Amino acid sequence: MQLGGVPGFRDLLPLEAEILREAQESLLAEMRRWGYRHVITPLVEAMDVLDLGLGVEQRRRLFKFTDGRGDVVALVGERTVPVARLVAGKLRTAALPLRLCYAGPVVSTEESRFQHRRETYQVGAELIGASGSVADAEVIALAAKCMEATGIRRYQIDVGHAEFFHGIMDAVRLPEDVKAAVRTALGARDFVGLEALLEDTPLRSAEHELLLRFPALRGGLEILDAAAGLVRNERSEKALAQLREVYDLLTDHGIGDVVILDLGAIRDFDYYTGVIFEGYGPDLGRPVAQGGRYDGLLARFGRAAPATGFVVQLDLVSEMLTRAARPPELPRVDAAIAWRGAAGLPGALRVGSTLRLFGMRAVVDTESRSQEAARNWWEAVGAANLIYCADGSTVTWSARGQRARRLPPEQVAARLAGGIA
Amino acid sequence: MTTQETVSIAIPTGVLLDGARGLLATSGLAALSAEELGRQLLVERERVRVIIVRPTDVPAYVDYGAADLGIVGKDILWETPGSHYELVDLHFGGCRLVLAVPNASALDGPQTWPPLMRVATKYPRTANAWFEARGQAVEIVRLHGSVELAPQVGLVDGIVDLTASGRTLRENGLRVTAVLGSSTARLIANQASLKTRTASVQSVVSRLREASNHAG
Repeated sequence: MQLGGVPGFRDLLPLEAEILREAQESLLAEMRRWGYRHVITPLVEAMDVLDLGLGVEQRRRLFKFTDGRGDVVALVGERTVPVARLVAGKLRTAALPLRLCYAGPVVSTEESRFQHRRETYQVGAELIGASGSVADAEVIALAAKCMEATGIRRYQIDVGHAEFFHGIMDAVRLPEDVKAAVRTALGARDFVGLEALLEDTPLRSAEHELLLRFPALRGGLEILDAAAGLVRNERSEKALAQLREVYDLLTDHGIGDVVILDLGAIRDFDYYTGVIFEGYGPDLGRPVAQGGRYDGLLARFGRAAPATGFVVQLDLVSEMLTRAARPPELPRVDAAIAWRGAAGLPGALRVGSTLRLFGMRAVVDTESRSQEAARNWWEAVGAANLIYCADGSTVTWSARGQRARRLPPEQVAARLAGGIA
Repeated sequence: MTTQETVSIAIPTGVLLDGARGLLATSGLAALSAEELGRQLLVERERVRVIIVRPTDVPAYVDYGAADLGIVGKDILWETPGSHYELVDLHFGGCRLVLAVPNASALDGPQTWPPLMRVATKYPRTANAWFEARGQAVEIVRLHGSVELAPQVGLVDGIVDLTASGRTLRENGLRVTAVLGSSTARLIANQASLKTRTASVQSVVSRLREASNHAG
């Protein structure tokens, strides 16, 4: 028997699990504050549904199997497609726009290059049925506030536009096979290969130069002016105008200082149709949040609607918080309640329920102990306080670094709840 | 997110080390003596931190963000594609990945290949993709050292290996029948470093680019 589990799937022990769960709660709470309603979609989806929404590579990485009726089903590898299915199906009579959020594990047959996991946790939000810059800016601002809500102290959001790239590819005069190779090189972030491809072509245009400078097309509003002076096609120009609008709106949202415009953002351009963005935290070699506009997806399920949204990689948030100089303070157990004999137990149980009523974490011992043994047990529990109940009327209360005191149980509860240690 | 932070660069031990050292010196980023690099694997300078690692480990250091930049042979990138940006061809450390067979072998062009070709290599991924693109069934024997020996003792039909001058192949009675690709040293960058520490990383990139143009 493998007590270590299946490779790529791992246990999260209390500290890690609590950090991850806290981060998930903070993210969902922030999404709820913006009016996003929580949905839970199943872990298993029909393959024909996923076929409609996913690209070839994503489909290849799905855990697929047949259920008892012979239908091919798969474990979900992301949850935007299930949400789209939901909006076009059970929610088809719900008025748009719809604001939805979700959280849950997703699985892949391939281990991620980072952390070597096949099961990861994602929290996402989708705004479906709203087009335009106001909706784009809302989702980006929400993503920023979500990163803040988890306790990440320094972060930045890179904002780009898929249409800027599409416009360039339309305008750049290259044979179709070279264009395909250009897309492949860009997708692989291979700028040496890209340069070689573009060098061999005689027709050089401004768009040509832009492609070569892709990784450096970043900055504030000035980058939009610089790019506007270079592109000569309507699609890219429109994208630049829209980015300017979104940037202004993000300033009004109060997050202008964390936004960087990134015209060279490289993403899945077959999927995204408009404004795209990525969130970066400090000292982690990859983005923790990714999203953008995908106006084409819903139509594939028979309910054409514009949509934008994002996903936060919870494992990365949790790794960042765990490794931060000051890891987040997690609540430990407030009180360990020990007791002796039948005379002590009822009082111990009552103190426990009273403390929990006040929202404190209280553990009541499972066996009778001497006062000496109770102190050892207190150490093992790692609680802030020890309450020892030997009879019905008074208890012995010890706090760390302080002398033990004998008090009536109600007084101990009142003092602990009042924060007087 | 501020400017002028220290930028870390992973450089490989082995054949590319001298070229990398020369480039860092020409660019004025760091003059490192061979003795210094022999003594320590981490060298700090005013603007850069140089990390010396095994060639195959460079992509890992960069992809995880332990190094902002890396100098690495294209041959290694073929085998370990990752999420990094490949930014500059540094024009040194040129070599070719070739298919070589024993001098006495009847194998030559694709028309002479057996239905199932058996090949020894340290580059299984690249070799597999190359044969697959040519519709050739291939059995890859992954070896870690002295690949040249394998065809001489009948383990395989041929080898796919890197060669700069061809001398090692000749000494082992092997001849080149096909070139799978040409490799030079490349400058790669971590995706997040380029985005969150743009100014300092880009400034180091352009100095290395310029130095490599002068050298090459």
